[in-house]
Amino acid sequence: MMLPETVENLIRQGLACSHLEVAGDGQHFEALVVSAEFAGMSRVQRHQRVNQTVRAQLDSGELHALSLKTHTPEEWSARG
Amino acid sequence: MSRDVQKEVHDLVTSNPVVLYMKGTPQFPQCGFSATAAEILKRCGVDFVAVNILLDDEIRLAIKEYANWPTIPQLYIKGEFVGGCDIMREMYQEGELQKLLEGVGA
Repeated sequence: MMLPETVENLIRQGLACSHLEVAGDGQHFEALVVSAEFAGMSRVQRHQRVNQTVRAQLDSGELHALSLKTHTPEEWSARG
Repeated sequence: MSRDVQKEVHDLVTSNPVVLYMKGTPQFPQCGFSATAAEILKRCGVDFVAVNILLDDEIRLAIKEYANWPTIPQLYIKGEFVGGCDIMREMYQEGELQKLLEGVGA
């Protein structure tokens, strides 16, 4: 079992985010991540970058799934 | 002789145009994310090779390492790792997946 706040903290510690929302039921989580680091990265690379911050929890099975939406600050503000 | 699972994965994804590693089968998926991934490919009308990783623990571990991707499902097109369920859904919604699958041995 993990709390959304725990997942949020792990992501925030591992990646500079300008916006971050995490929701989940203890095993399955969804995160919306906005980071300037994503510029020039493919979707796969962006997800790999975020997954890296919770790698230990994914490997141990404590975190079963992390569904991601990733944007750069420019992409995010363009969404209005 | 020990098994070279990295080579097995490499050989399979490079010798088949579309490969989906999933939990269960397209008919009987064992996880919601795998079910969605298989459904997206069906809607794209493409033939694909589905590998049920629940039947082979060595392959399950090998693909995580192969793609540097910690979760299942995993989609490969022409040997390239494309992504998991979220990326497939996003690409499908934006028509990118259909484009990528055009003319791929369907």
